[in-house]
Amino acid sequence: MVSQHGIKFAVHIITKHFGNLVAKVCECLLRRGALTLQNIVRYTELTPTQVKNSLLVLIQHNCVQAFILEEPGGFGDTLRLITQYVVLFDNILHRLRFSKFLALVSLHFDKPCLDLLEGLLQHGRLSLQQMFDRARETEGSNVTLSTVQENLHKLVTARYVERCPIPEPVLEPPSENDVAARKRAAKSKIIVEAETLEQRVVAASFPSDTLRFSVAVNPELNIDCATEHAGEKRKFDALESDIDGGATTEKIILWRANCEEFVRQLRNKACIENVRARLDDDAATVFSAMVEASGSEEKKIKVVNSAPLSVNAIYEEVIKSEKGRNMTFNHVRASLVQLSSQPRFVRVADETYSIDFKNIVELAQNDEVESVVLKRYGRTAYKIFRLLSKDGRLVETDKDLSTPLTQDRVMKISDSIFVEKKESANMLYKLWQDGYLLMERLVAGATQFLLWKVDKQKVWWHFLDEMFHGALNLSLRVAYEIDQRDEILKLREGASKEKRDRLVKVRMLMESSLMKLDDAIMLFHDF
Amino acid sequence: MVFTFHIPATRMNRSLGPPGPKRKRPESSSQSDSLTEQERILYEVIRSKQDMGIWTRDMKRETNLQDSVVNKSLKVLVAKNLIKEVVNIKNKGKKFYMAAEFQPSKEITGGAWYAEGQLDTALISFLKDFSAKQIQKQRVLTLDVISDLIRRSGVLKVDLAEQQIKDILRALVLDDEIIEVLSTGTGEFASFPVGKVCYKCTSKGARGGEPKTGAFSSVPCGVCPRILLCTPEGVISPKTCVYYNKWLEF
Ligand code: SF4
Repeated sequence: MVSQHGIKFAVHIITKHFGNLVAKVCECLLRRGALTLQNIVRYTELTPTQVKNSLLVLIQHNCVQAFILEEPGGFGDTLRLITQYVVLFDNILHRLRFSKFLALVSLHFDKPCLDLLEGLLQHGRLSLQQMFDRARETEGSNVTLSTVQENLHKLVTARYVERCPIPEPVLEPPSENDVAARKRAAKSKIIVEAETLEQRVVAASFPSDTLRFSVAVNPELNIDCATEHAGEKRKFDALESDIDGGATTEKIILWRANCEEFVRQLRNKACIENVRARLDDDAATVFSAMVEASGSEEKKIKVVNSAPLSVNAIYEEVIKSEKGRNMTFNHVRASLVQLSSQPRFVRVADETYSIDFKNIVELAQNDEVESVVLKRYGRTAYKIFRLLSKDGRLVETDKDLSTPLTQDRVMKISDSIFVEKKESANMLYKLWQDGYLLMERLVAGATQFLLWKVDKQKVWWHFLDEMFHGALNLSLRVAYEIDQRDEILKLREGASKEKRDRLVKVRMLMESSLMKLDDAIMLFHDF
Repeated sequence: MVFTFHIPATRMNRSLGPPGPKRKRPESSSQSDSLTEQERILYEVIRSKQDMGIWTRDMKRETNLQDSVVNKSLKVLVAKNLIKEVVNIKNKGKKFYMAAEFQPSKEITGGAWYAEGQLDTALISFLKDFSAKQIQKQRVLTLDVISDLIRRSGVLKVDLAEQQIKDILRALVLDDEIIEVLSTGTGEFASFPVGKVCYKCTSKGARGGEPKTGAFSSVPCGVCPRILLCTPEGVISPKTCVYYNKWLEF
């Protein structure tokens, strides 16, 4: 499920990149979930051709995935196969991050690789031949197919590039177990992170890790033909598969950038910077060696912690880096002690160390939210908010921290944290109105209690929605400023240098702010 | 170690006196002997309320005395040092009186941190500052050590209750100046037993006392009080936004 402003922001991105028609189809899918072609036509009131073309664009840019849902037919046990389309929200947001992805790759790869990746990001999906053509355009005719292939292999080995997923994976209807589990969850009012349809489709569309990153093109290897697509032709077929059997004639492998790997790298980078900010450079060096050493093991983004590493393994990795070369074994040990004491970045068990990603991400999330509370509502609010969201910052044992606090208790505590009672009462209401606190009324006999708490799941969700809102506003304002600039330049040929300089500065500030805000969005949405 | 901090003696007594009433009989039993009948009745009522004191309106109701008599008697009793006027934190406009031998209760004063109905901010910020500096200097400290340091510094003439020092530390935790951690028994915790509650400075100290500014709070919308009312085409919109105008002023 995507929050309201998440949808608006995504639609804004698509409108900016692909125009209104495509955006309309995209919005329809974002708001209504997976749909068949007919239904999209019905809801958007566009012509079937318009919808088809829009879907093609969205599929080409990995923002929509088609899939086939097996549904029991009307009579008997026959299964009806229906092609549906689901929008991939994450991939829409990734479109903002292309510059970040390229910056990551530029650290370890040369210009031709970078160009190749840029082509993939720009065009969504490309075949080797298309990449080759592009390379010849930019670098001249002495580029050979085999060098392009080599570069592609390098990027695929690093997992920055992958094969495109199966065009229309078949999805089985949810089993009875799933349905029962969902009902149970709904009853207990707990928002469990049940696998969304989007996630199920994505999982089904990848055959296997080996195939996903397989660079072999030798047909004798007998690769599942499902991973081989017939380029543009095949996709049209997919869209018309109700009518036409969709027989493929030529088999072309299509490639695309693997955003998952980029986001994982960005998460690692964010964690390392967090360690540096809270501890010091040495700790960051040791920590980043740990990230390096466990990198090959761990491929998911949302992981709780990394695989355990021994001190020796960590040390070995530390001295590989330039900064770590002058660190002694004891030095590294001391940093590990530092990393594993509170606030904890690393877990220790049986002399092995693993990165506590979950905790690091949570700490960073807390910082982000608290900073907004402090700057928007002031210090009293900041204290109250921290008081209610404690999460282990206070190791008091006499209270169950997950339970909400009664108004009375908040008052008593706010008293002892030196906030005037009236001020804190007003602030509780304000924060509640704005969605930063939850309030519950509890009636016991004639008396009524007010319970307050920071329900992380709900508050974080609200906060993320506000960040999407902020990102949308920022982006709209950038567009407005650019319009203004064009106006000014049009009106007066010789618009003063000062004015022009200002606009350059404005744009730079806003765009870099948007990138930073996007880092924070990733912190809540992706990591 | 020299601290140039002075807390007025009167405030000190109020904010730092040991909890509960000090039961010293007024030296002037002779003084209470010389009271008139009406003054005696009033005095007894006031005294019976102990450290809670009593509101003048309630006195009139309970004693059935005339307004003028009560007012006159109060003056006499105050002059003889038998009763005193106290500020009630819950209702600063109401006149409260209490027998001189009692210290106002927590309910009246607002607790240990209130002096004359006011939050004793001078004392609080002094203690917070002192504790934070000590923790910063020694990296890791426990409650006992901090209490001891405060006591030995000699700046406060009265002992603080343990709860009060806890209050101070908690305030520092909520300000993100320090964090509460459990000793691991190694490294910087070597001198504390495993599992002991300790306090250490956050890295915020290095940022000059302000928490790290987040990405969202660095843009106008992050700190905007109207974000819930703002829409692209609405009255409040990013295009017409005054906060943006200000932000982009350079
Ligand atoms: S655009 Fe302006 S009014 Fe709208 S949320 Fe942002 S700061 Fe507030």
